[in-house]
Amino acid sequence: MENNDSKNDSRRQFIKKISTGSLLAASGLAITSLTSCKESSKEKTTLLTTDGKLVEVSNSEISSLEHKHITPKESRQGIPGKKWVMVVDLGKCKNAKKCVDACDKHHNLTPDRPYIKVLEMKDNEKSSPYWMPKKCFQCDNPPCVKVCPVGATYKRTDGIVLIDNERCIGCRFCMAACPYSARVFNWAEPPEENQDELYSPETSIPSKIGTVGKCDFCPDMLRKNMLPHCVTKCPNGVIYFGDEIEDTVTNGEETVRLSTLLKDKAGYRYMEELGTKPRVYYLPPVDRMFPFEKDTEESSES
Amino acid sequence: MRNSNMKPQLFNSEREKDLLGHLVTTSLKYKLWIAFLLLIIIIGGYAYYRQLTLGLVVTAMRDYTSWGIYISNFVFFVAISLVGSLISSILKLNKNEWAKPLTRVSEIIAVAAIICAAVIIIVDMGRPDRFFYVITHLRIQSPIIWDVIIISTYLIISLLLLYLSLLPDIALCRDRLTTIPKWKKWMYRITAINWTNHPKQIKLLKKVSRVLAITVLPVAFAIHTVTSWLFATTWRPGWDSTNLGPYFVSGAFMAGAAAIIFTMYLMRKHLKLEAYITEYHFDKMGRLLVLLSLVYLYFNINEYLGPAFKMVGVEGEHITELFVGKYAPLYWFVQLGGLVFPIILLIIKPFRKPLPLFIISLFVILGAWIKRFLIVIPSLQHPYLPIQGVDESYLHYNPTWEEWAITLSSFAWLLLIITVLIKLFPVIPIQEKKEESKTVVEQNTLKNETF
Amino acid sequence: MRLFNFLEIHTLKLFFLTGFLVFNTSLIHSQEAMEDANISISFSDENDSKTIIAKALDQSGLPIEDLELYFFVKRTFSLLPIGDSFNVTDENGLLEVEFPKDLPGDTDGNVIIITKIIESDLYNDFSMETIKNWGIPVILEDPKVEKRSLWAAAANAPITLIICISSMILAVWYIIFYILFKLYKISKITSIQH
Repeated sequence: MENNDSKNDSRRQFIKKISTGSLLAASGLAITSLTSCKESSKEKTTLLTTDGKLVEVSNSEISSLEHKHITPKESRQGIPGKKWVMVVDLGKCKNAKKCVDACDKHHNLTPDRPYIKVLEMKDNEKSSPYWMPKKCFQCDNPPCVKVCPVGATYKRTDGIVLIDNERCIGCRFCMAACPYSARVFNWAEPPEENQDELYSPETSIPSKIGTVGKCDFCPDMLRKNMLPHCVTKCPNGVIYFGDEIEDTVTNGEETVRLSTLLKDKAGYRYMEELGTKPRVYYLPPVDRMFPFEKDTEESSES
Repeated sequence: MRNSNMKPQLFNSEREKDLLGHLVTTSLKYKLWIAFLLLIIIIGGYAYYRQLTLGLVVTAMRDYTSWGIYISNFVFFVAISLVGSLISSILKLNKNEWAKPLTRVSEIIAVAAIICAAVIIIVDMGRPDRFFYVITHLRIQSPIIWDVIIISTYLIISLLLLYLSLLPDIALCRDRLTTIPKWKKWMYRITAINWTNHPKQIKLLKKVSRVLAITVLPVAFAIHTVTSWLFATTWRPGWDSTNLGPYFVSGAFMAGAAAIIFTMYLMRKHLKLEAYITEYHFDKMGRLLVLLSLVYLYFNINEYLGPAFKMVGVEGEHITELFVGKYAPLYWFVQLGGLVFPIILLIIKPFRKPLPLFIISLFVILGAWIKRFLIVIPSLQHPYLPIQGVDESYLHYNPTWEEWAITLSSFAWLLLIITVLIKLFPVIPIQEKKEESKTVVEQNTLKNETF
Repeated sequence: MRLFNFLEIHTLKLFFLTGFLVFNTSLIHSQEAMEDANISISFSDENDSKTIIAKALDQSGLPIEDLELYFFVKRTFSLLPIGDSFNVTDENGLLEVEFPKDLPGDTDGNVIIITKIIESDLYNDFSMETIKNWGIPVILEDPKVEKRSLWAAAANAPITLIICISSMILAVWYIIFYILFKLYKISKITSIQH
């Protein structure tokens, strides 16, 4: 193995800060490069530290931290060095609704009020209709966060807008302020399951009656360097997700540069004129993979 | 009073007898009225108990129509509360002597309405148990916080406004009323804070009253402007407007004037105040209502003409829904029955007689309430992205009985507070006749001080 | 204690995973006589273009022709491919891949370049990580520092907003307390005897 710029020794102190998630992913990659795997403790793994530097460490040094419960207070700080971004390719969506199902399951939602909605859109009379999966746009100029009287919803450094159900007073001003109707309210007691779990704004579980909820980009998954559920469960690779700082997004199969993708496919943000600066981009519904058909939920076992 | 064997109450003058009479005698009508209000309040209390235990699911509000009649009611109460500043500040500063008998009642309405507004907003909260987070976790960036600040300020100011003008009359109650229960005597004694009509006291009171009359103006404008910002700071069609502040304020003045006419008519009838609230007052109030309605009409045209001319996207859908769609009957009832017809009718003198004016003001009040319903609900039902993939119940908004019960009970509270305040305190300033003598005394004291 | 438990579980997972992979590769071994390719990499940084030069030699030290190599840059969730969609060695076993000029690296500009042989007919799968200082250094915001804005936390409200609101509150409440004070003074004025 050739190493031009190994700076490992000076950065060993950062190792302890590294989350289990990045470890799992990184060690998984390291294994593929092994000729003999028995002595894995001698092998080295390259990891990105919390201050955004690559370090190479030997696997034996990696002290795995337990999968930590993120308290509401901790959840106010973003995952260091990240700016999450999503790109939705409207040319690929056929309303399979797997993203909605996965999201509902993960967040313990009832089907009548999902976080993700796949909307039937038609820009004008002549143009063809298309499906538009809509989540929270995690705006950089978030109207919902601006109006919250108690700071129950907040913008993190990694771009995510989260809600703390233990702070929310249920005034629903954020719902009125969101131009994209991304927020839902717990009008009644949420479903019984997961009620004994410890609440974290990063999982949104268990949600509380009389408070607001919405799509959160699954920060619990992101901490483990894993993609949000809607991305991995999409059968058609509609949703790309990644880090804007790395200029890379992936739909789980294909990995592309964000700037190239947006440039080549004329990516846009929904209602740019509102100035909310969404972190979700759309690629226009051109070069469709599927014809537009209604009620494809049953026949979409691809 | 129940104790009929007590010595009869003695008054110094006919005026005192007329204006203090209702404080010492309690009619059966009054008791029935209070019982009726309490009944409505109890039903509303049960509805609120259901809402507390089951959650806001008992209402018809859902994710799209996320604000309902609680919020429209809140805006209505805030609007009504502006009347205190209108009558007792603007008219006072303008030296409109005719409005003097109406200042007290307008201040009482203001206090009652602002209390109800503050309470009804808590009813709308999903987590009323966390109400104090508004103070402990306050975020100054939020228009709700501005509203909380301004409402609490205005509550204090309107209480002061009522109290300052009431002070000499409380002292009078303390000195004159002999046949009242002990707790009332105690109350008058405490609240009269040693008022003795001392020239220095009168001079000081006059001074602070004037300071307050000036202060209340910007605060009153601010309270409804900030309330309009709860809407204007969002992207919703119908709310996303720079016109909303003056539109709300002018609408509030109109609704407030109608509320005064409503109350003064009932008061005059039931408290036998025909000699004090005359047809002249009704005529004047009618003219004032026309003026305020014209201002409101102007802002209404401003509010709807632009969007209706441009018909941009959801803004256009919203306008269509109001003008010819689902909400058209309500909308035209409000605009014609609650605004245009009252203006036309009130220009004609006979309609400014007490009874016709009372009926017209009822329409104005009803229109004002429905107008706030039309401001809040249809806007929420026209989001930028189509409403799809949700439960059928999310598409409409028909308030449930719980919502109506709570709303009606908030009105019962409003009327109860007004009734009780009228019962406890003289509703027409009694000591106004002392004006002339007061100035003489003042001049004397001034002379004494200079020499 | 819990930490140790987790460590144990984690190591177990790792062993399981590696075991599985070894099993897999040995299966392939048994099917065909596959050999390891020796891949070496050098970097050329001339004329403003950054080029990765790979050299493939077989076990006997001869250059491998027509060997398909894959190049990636490691990213959070996956590997970002660089170069053309097919990169094949020439008759000298050499292969040049242009590295994009504007790809962000870490805060020092380091990127992890991964070279791979994937599902070749003749050679075993291969992967190699190299850290190279070819990325654009990124500037990260301090996660603990939040700019003052309308969407910031309460503590980071815009200064002008705080000044405007508090001065208005102070002005009005000053008057309220002034009036209350005057009322107190009124209550202290002793009555004249009639």
